[in-house]
Amino acid sequence: MTQPVWLSERVQWIGAFDPGMRSFDIILKTPNGTTYNAYAVRGSEGVAVIDTVKAECAEQFFAHLEAVARYDEIKVIILNHLEPDHTGALPELMRRAPQAKLYISQSAQLMLKALLNRKDLDFTAVITGDTVSLGDRTLRFLHTPYLHWPDTQCTYLEEEFILFSGDVFGCHFCDKRLYNDKVGDFRFAFEYYYTHIMRPFREHVINALALIEPLTINIIAPTHGPILRDQPTRYIERYRELSAQRLQNEINAEEKTLIVFYISAYGSTTQMAEMIREGAEQVPGVRVSLYDMEGGDTDLFVDLVEDADGILVGSPTINGDAVKPAWDLLSSFAKINVRGKLAGAFGSYGWSGEAVRMLEDRLRGLKMRLPLEGVRIKLIPSLEELEQCRQYGLEAAEHLMGVNAPRVLEMADLLAARKQTTEELSVVTI
Amino acid sequence: MAKAKVTFSDVNVTVNVPVGTRIIELSEAVGSYIAYNCREGDCGVCLFEVIKGQENLSELSKEEKAVLLARFHEIMEGWRATNNLEALQAKMQRENFIGKHCRLACQTQVFGDVIVAPI
Ligand code: FES
Ligand SMILES: [Fe+2]
Ligand SMILES: [Fe+2]
Repeated sequence: MTQPVWLSERVQWIGAFDPGMRSFDIILKTPNGTTYNAYAVRGSEGVAVIDTVKAECAEQFFAHLEAVARYDEIKVIILNHLEPDHTGALPELMRRAPQAKLYISQSAQLMLKALLNRKDLDFTAVITGDTVSLGDRTLRFLHTPYLHWPDTQCTYLEEEFILFSGDVFGCHFCDKRLYNDKVGDFRFAFEYYYTHIMRPFREHVINALALIEPLTINIIAPTHGPILRDQPTRYIERYRELSAQRLQNEINAEEKTLIVFYISAYGSTTQMAEMIREGAEQVPGVRVSLYDMEGGDTDLFVDLVEDADGILVGSPTINGDAVKPAWDLLSSFAKINVRGKLAGAFGSYGWSGEAVRMLEDRLRGLKMRLPLEGVRIKLIPSLEELEQCRQYGLEAAEHLMGVNAPRVLEMADLLAARKQTTEELSVVTI
Repeated sequence: MAKAKVTFSDVNVTVNVPVGTRIIELSEAVGSYIAYNCREGDCGVCLFEVIKGQENLSELSKEEKAVLLARFHEIMEGWRATNNLEALQAKMQRENFIGKHCRLACQTQVFGDVIVAPI
């Protein structure tokens, strides 16, 4: 059995090692497992437990906890994040230490009720600046929502300058030596974790850094991976760099950017894309870029998309579906925040044109906004149809700039257009 | 059936709807910036602003009000500076923000003409 690890005379790591874990939340890979870090802090008037571990690892956690404190000494349980990998052992801990008071972030209240499924729950919801005292030790809270769930917060031990940061600054990396100056090279794991877990919440990362950077920090104690005691501020600086805009923006504040991605089998979708660009360029203040997905790489495109205001995607329908590069592009959007960006789809088709509606549905699923119905053209675009594309580009650009002409619709028509989409899709899946 | 006009000022679209329609049934379809998440009145993400016609919307329930309050403290500019949730809530109430100017799109039904916008 492993032992608890002393971060200081009063602070212990009481987490669990999970070296066998290979994929996390299904999508995240981890080549050497992970750790679930929980901590105990002892003050003159009681003990605080900060986070717990996943249910399957509860045994390790309780053994470590019992080695440093009695259950009746636990005065406070702080939950920096309610995801099951950190709250799995919570119900049992509450049973063993019924007197302990729960502290959670202001935005975690509904989630906690859902998690524990109890009506009579007693807890304190805290925001930035609130503190809880353990006598000669004080824990202060930082409200850092959406890193990477709405409920997340950080907790700072004032007397020892230790930041219990939750998933922030964490990574999936399992090494029993635990300290960043002792473990193997985990840089890739740190970067990978940021890219897949934190990057979609870039704005929230920036807000959190504004709260964290002014603190004096001796140790960063995250919920996964190495404890950062050697040059901890380097990791904060790295988050600052990673959350900065990827591309130097040459666009001035009044301009908006629209990117038209397309891919074409016989050139029809290319023609459409070019006409859409022509239309969009008629609107002052819109900067349009055109990219053939065949000639580029999704990783580079995703940096462009992160900084763009609007995205249009063109794909032909082949075998009742959009083509793979288009789907690859759309799945890469999950790595960044595209919520609220303007989006649209277009494309040519042979005898059935499902691709456009399917892409539109996916774009809506990503919470992008689609004010226009996409253009679909059968086979080779006629002059009239090309004019339709130009009009579409123009209207998309007008929407981007907020200068589009008013429209009046009947609700029935509005919903019929959407219903038609779903019907077409169900035909495809049969 | 009685009709009402809902105007989404950010996309400049007006929809003629039967009374009783919820804002969220329209906002996504017209491509408005009004966001949503849970669709059940829990998360507060679908907050929107009522520019005109607040008297034509369904009444504010206790639950909607609580979620609005929680949501506000999160998003209000300067809440960090005040660092005092109660003072902020008192201020919001005084200025009659909740329920009058701001509602949840997944909860609010339309009974007459309104103009709405994302926040
Ligand atoms: S969508 Fe969550 S409260 Fe309306
Ligand atoms: Fe998490
Ligand atoms: Fe986690």
